[in-house]
Amino acid sequence: MKKVGKPVFFIVALLIVFLTYTSFFGISTQYGDVTKTWIKGADTIRWGIDIRGGVDVTFTPPEGVDATEDELAAAQAVIETRLINQNIADYEVYKDTAKDRIIVRFPWKENETDFNPEEAIQELGETALLSFREGMETDENGLPAGITAENVILSGNMVESAQAVVDQQGLPLVSLKLTSEGAKAFDEATGRLSQESPKGRISIWMDELMISAPEVQAHITDGNAVISNIGDIEEAKDLANKINAGALPFKLETENYNSISPTLGMGARDAMVLAGVIAFILIAIFMILYYRLNGVVAVIALMGQVAGIIIGVTGYFPAIPSFTLTLPGLCGMILSIGMGVDANVITAERIKEEVRAGKTLDGAIDSGFERGFAAIFDSNITMIIVAVILMGSFGPTDSLFAKMLSPIFSMFGPATAGNIYSFGYTLLVGVILNFIMGVTATRLMLKSISKFKPFRKLWLYGGVDE
Amino acid sequence: MKQIAFMKNRKIYFGISIGLVVLTVLATLIFGVNLDIQFKGGTIITYSHAGDLDGGAFQKAIEEKLGQKVNIQEQTNVATGNMNYVVSLTSADGLSVEDQGALTESLQQQFPDNAIETFAVNNVNPTIGKEFFAKCLVAVAIAALLMVVYIAFRFRRIGGWSAGVMCVVALLHDVMIVYLTFVLFKFPINDNFIAVVLTILGYSINATIVIYDRIRENKKRYGSKANIGELVDKSINQSMTRSINTSLSTATAMIVICIVAVVRDVNSILTFAFPLLIGIIAGFYSSTFLSGPLWVCWQEYKKAKKAAK
Repeated sequence: MKKVGKPVFFIVALLIVFLTYTSFFGISTQYGDVTKTWIKGADTIRWGIDIRGGVDVTFTPPEGVDATEDELAAAQAVIETRLINQNIADYEVYKDTAKDRIIVRFPWKENETDFNPEEAIQELGETALLSFREGMETDENGLPAGITAENVILSGNMVESAQAVVDQQGLPLVSLKLTSEGAKAFDEATGRLSQESPKGRISIWMDELMISAPEVQAHITDGNAVISNIGDIEEAKDLANKINAGALPFKLETENYNSISPTLGMGARDAMVLAGVIAFILIAIFMILYYRLNGVVAVIALMGQVAGIIIGVTGYFPAIPSFTLTLPGLCGMILSIGMGVDANVITAERIKEEVRAGKTLDGAIDSGFERGFAAIFDSNITMIIVAVILMGSFGPTDSLFAKMLSPIFSMFGPATAGNIYSFGYTLLVGVILNFIMGVTATRLMLKSISKFKPFRKLWLYGGVDE
Repeated sequence: MKQIAFMKNRKIYFGISIGLVVLTVLATLIFGVNLDIQFKGGTIITYSHAGDLDGGAFQKAIEEKLGQKVNIQEQTNVATGNMNYVVSLTSADGLSVEDQGALTESLQQQFPDNAIETFAVNNVNPTIGKEFFAKCLVAVAIAALLMVVYIAFRFRRIGGWSAGVMCVVALLHDVMIVYLTFVLFKFPINDNFIAVVLTILGYSINATIVIYDRIRENKKRYGSKANIGELVDKSINQSMTRSINTSLSTATAMIVICIVAVVRDVNSILTFAFPLLIGIIAGFYSSTFLSGPLWVCWQEYKKAKKAAK
């Protein structure tokens, strides 16, 4: 980094101000009643259930039952269907095949007033009622009506297995294998419905939700049916999982559950935000009073770091999903911002030293950054080590870091603590930003602003003017 | 700036820290460790209620329904200003969700005027709790090990392994003080504790690295003939302003968080911000007063051993 032009300061500073503003307030345009979000603001942060309240529950098969991977996938599909059915879109469900556990976390719905965690958990864990019904008549609530309500052709326990496959033309199918009892019932129903014109339908229901309603194409006598005309293989897998869930030979038990009321957490969140703003202002005042121009530049860089971490949490663009921020996640933010303050303090101290040792201003700035860098680099790399270990050990099992660390942590089940994963994530983002903001942006801004005449007084850098 | 003779007074600093170690052991023995149910398993249910509700009657109703002893505690509800009852089950087996639902229902029937509702439930299976605890400890141990390796590599010029090991000694010292804070204030040891320990781990290692970096630089500048003790004294004094300013800034942030948490009565924040504050102070102390002198002791011991041969 030899030459830095005069305008660089303004470019970097404006960029940071822009990032800060947009990361907090977002950008959206309103056209009639439709609001289109271009950039997500801080209000879109997904707060962890330790902050906004919600339910965290671990389901297992009863003792003595060793569930297969397919059975767990089926159980997971039931839980997901039920969550969607209750209009909860913001859930996390993952399965632990090593320990036969399914971990579910979901926040309370916004504006929810009737909290009944016991009921919510019980409903999720119940055995799914799968039924194949004649026709697809429903009432206004989407419940089966007419002939569909009356004639249940098959129930879940008459399905031996369902499987997603691809036929010779490469089209996705779900192939069903029925028990002999099921085959008999299906023989009668398909024989009749396939003769109808237009062809009759059989609807498939999980609990009180219709999940599919295929047309009956042929008379099936041997209990081996296929469902065709499915969008893609993922959809086929999903349907197969749901059908299998109705045939699960066991009920899920709750081993672990946690429920937090939203009022408890939101108080914590507001207090944290208030404290964060006050603390930032105090640190800014201190940095500017003590380090003068270096302090001003440092505060701009710190602003950029805070904005960057928020961007890392919200995703910034609507297409990128948000990350869940928990209380330990806030802890990680604090630590990384602390490290950002430290990087700026180290550099400013070094420049002061060099200026006082009688170096020229440009020489002092250059060697100040150079000498301070080794310490900043080493401590930030050690932080990255910590962050990666945490993300690997407490994150979802399919993440990159988890795969790297799997030989060490395979003896434990996957995260019972998404909270700590959040700490690793914000720390990692913060430390990377420390290199971008605390080191690079500060350096660019300082080198460029020091080219202006009014800013060449040594006093501004902690020195003594002759 | 006045130069502090760290090496001359090192016995005092070591003495203070040994005293803290003894205090930690004593405090653990006297007060015991308040392991959260997150790690040991068990059930805690928080019920919110309106109007006056007699704690004794409430407890009796629960004990009758469940057929076991329970502890109950009163707590102010931050949001509504009402009182909550926190019910903890002494048996570590946990309560099934069905039993818990039945309990809530029966309480609502017995105290119809109090609008009893489940405010928060925390039920942890002891196996999962222990597994989680073990996992936390393994994660911290692996992180510490990798740090030693990294520091040993980066500070190979100043006797890498000794620097790495001393860094970790300073770090363990700080973690111990954080733990002491939790024990003395009877904060539950839960995942907040793990987050605080990890934060202090990072903070402390950062502070120590800055000082070792200065030693590394000075050693390069003055060559290996210089007296190690004087070199370290000089390095610590040179980094002093930085150490004070950074610690002051981060400590200020923590003090603000603590004050807001107390004013707003948010206990969950206080139980992590306050130990963090203590940890930051400990980190400043250990990196300034312990890590340098400890490293010198190791170097002098090595020299003496070599000379004896």
